[in-house]
Amino acid sequence: MNRRNLLQSLSGVALASVLTPELAQAKAQLHRASGFDWRVGFAGLDADVAPTAMRRISGRAPVDLAGSLYRNGPGKFHRPGGSVDHWFDGDGLMRSFRVTEGEATLTARFVDTPKRRTDTAANAVVTPGFGTAAKPGARVESNDDTNGANISVLPVGNEVWALWEAGSAFAMDAKTLETKGMKTLRPDLAHVPFLAHPRVDANGDVWSLGVSNNKALVWRLARDGALKSADIVDLPMASYIHDFTASERYLILILQPWVQDRNVLPFVDSLSWHPEQGTKILVLDKNDLSRRRVFELPAFFAFHYGDAWEEADGTLRFDGCVSVNPSFAINNGRNIMKGTWTPEPSPILTMFVLSPNGKARMDATTISAEFPRNNQRLAGSARRYTAHATGDGGGGPLFNGLATHDWKTGKSDAYDLGPSHLMEEAVFVPRPAGTDELDGWLLAPSVNLLARATELHVFDARRVAAGPICTWRADVVLPVSLHGAFVPA
Amino acid sequence: MTLRPIEPAPLLKSILLLGTVLSLLIIAPAALADETATGTLTVTLEGVKTKTGAVMLSLSGTPESYDGKAPDAGQAMVPAINDVVTTTFTGLPPGRYAIKAFHDVNGDGKMGSNPFGMPTEPFAFSNNAHGVMGPAKWDAAAFEVKVGDNTHTIAID
Repeated sequence: MNRRNLLQSLSGVALASVLTPELAQAKAQLHRASGFDWRVGFAGLDADVAPTAMRRISGRAPVDLAGSLYRNGPGKFHRPGGSVDHWFDGDGLMRSFRVTEGEATLTARFVDTPKRRTDTAANAVVTPGFGTAAKPGARVESNDDTNGANISVLPVGNEVWALWEAGSAFAMDAKTLETKGMKTLRPDLAHVPFLAHPRVDANGDVWSLGVSNNKALVWRLARDGALKSADIVDLPMASYIHDFTASERYLILILQPWVQDRNVLPFVDSLSWHPEQGTKILVLDKNDLSRRRVFELPAFFAFHYGDAWEEADGTLRFDGCVSVNPSFAINNGRNIMKGTWTPEPSPILTMFVLSPNGKARMDATTISAEFPRNNQRLAGSARRYTAHATGDGGGGPLFNGLATHDWKTGKSDAYDLGPSHLMEEAVFVPRPAGTDELDGWLLAPSVNLLARATELHVFDARRVAAGPICTWRADVVLPVSLHGAFVPA
Repeated sequence: MTLRPIEPAPLLKSILLLGTVLSLLIIAPAALADETATGTLTVTLEGVKTKTGAVMLSLSGTPESYDGKAPDAGQAMVPAINDVVTTTFTGLPPGRYAIKAFHDVNGDGKMGSNPFGMPTEPFAFSNNAHGVMGPAKWDAAAFEVKVGDNTHTIAID
């Protein structure tokens, strides 16, 4: 056993099970000593990446896998005159991994936002953000002047929209990733936020929210991006909303007790955690937003949920990745940018059950999980599986593995890339001719900390534990991305 | 916008008696000042994108006026028919002034805002000053108007 294998086995078995802060520190030091420094995945990228052929390093791509995986995430954090204070405030970097005839090509371009222009001109990060304070030279006349366009991506026709959560979408050319500009869906709705996690109906309608205090604007778009309706709804309580979910018939807004109660910058400092308020879940009828139900649950924090579905008796189910509080967003999101990490429990994969009798409950698994995704062909209807990142790095942020969870059997099908990789969100790509829920592939990049490279992995969604069936590599580290979408060729 | 020439005292008196605070402020400085000791200010607004509606300006001669706690020193409404539009204020006592401008694209006479209160029509301040979650501050937007001809250019849209 060589030194690296020894370290891997130590970290994988002995340490992972009993992580104290001291052990996590030791583990992080071991990883750094062996070249696994998670900071590599958060170092930032200086310039766009022109279309670059990726090198296939293992396996072979399925012949019927063809299309583009678009992914967005914060990509630039540092400027000579000052840096962001929070991971969520890096400039949006849109990437496209184009797969065709067994080959993969990588392109990455920054979203051309007012924030990026202001910061570039100042040669310093001066624009305030989620967790970054305003500096002299900041130009903030609307929320969109602080828009990082850095969370997710919505493909719309021949565009991809770079999404943030507190401002407008930015349209980019799907082929060249050139920024076309900010999307104003109706002149009187300019700058109304468009959440980074739209839900797309089976019929193609796109739902999103713009949230301000205890009101939300419900966006409904046709799949071509045309606005169908925009209605304001009152929320039963103010809440930080990053994601929501939907069944075929209902929108489900989870209102966690992280509440903006001060008018200060940066945004994260204006929020207070009020666990005594509990969580409220607002269920709205898509066809009549005035028809509403409210469910109550204890306080918890979650960024992400899976698609919801309704059972024959009217029970609503959806899954989410649940933490006890928003400490990642408050603390570790900042720590990461300073190169430090305070160990904290991973979010736990949890099933939410909203019963027709008005009662709600949470059925928690014991599985570490983030970035839940499912087969979009089944969006809004009953499903059995959730794909998610798993296996927290212990000594550092994010995840090393990928899994599908079977809600019927309670079993996980998981693969661990090991501590030398930061695993990103996997997107399910249905096999063109496939009909079964898992008949397709999971496409996920990772940052290879040892090779200092970006890798793209293809897993057979039915056999995750067997490992990637194909991996390509580009010798450039793209900072860890957040969310993606696949567009078939 | 031009101010009326100095009127005979009886008329001024009646305006002062009848007039609003606004008309007082617009008329009084010009009326009371020696005409030769006033300034003329030509304001150019560049970069008008949408050729509908009008660009609305308010000119303030004090921080209180700029903050909306005292009347304006002048107002103007300039049809947004070209990329570049101009307007002129005359009879201004020398001193520091600041301008707030917005492009009333839909011509409803109001600065449009979205349901959450965020402005939806273009706006700008003198010196091309920028605010942080609010209007630019007086100190950043204020500029000097001297006796005689003065010009000031603002980018809008």
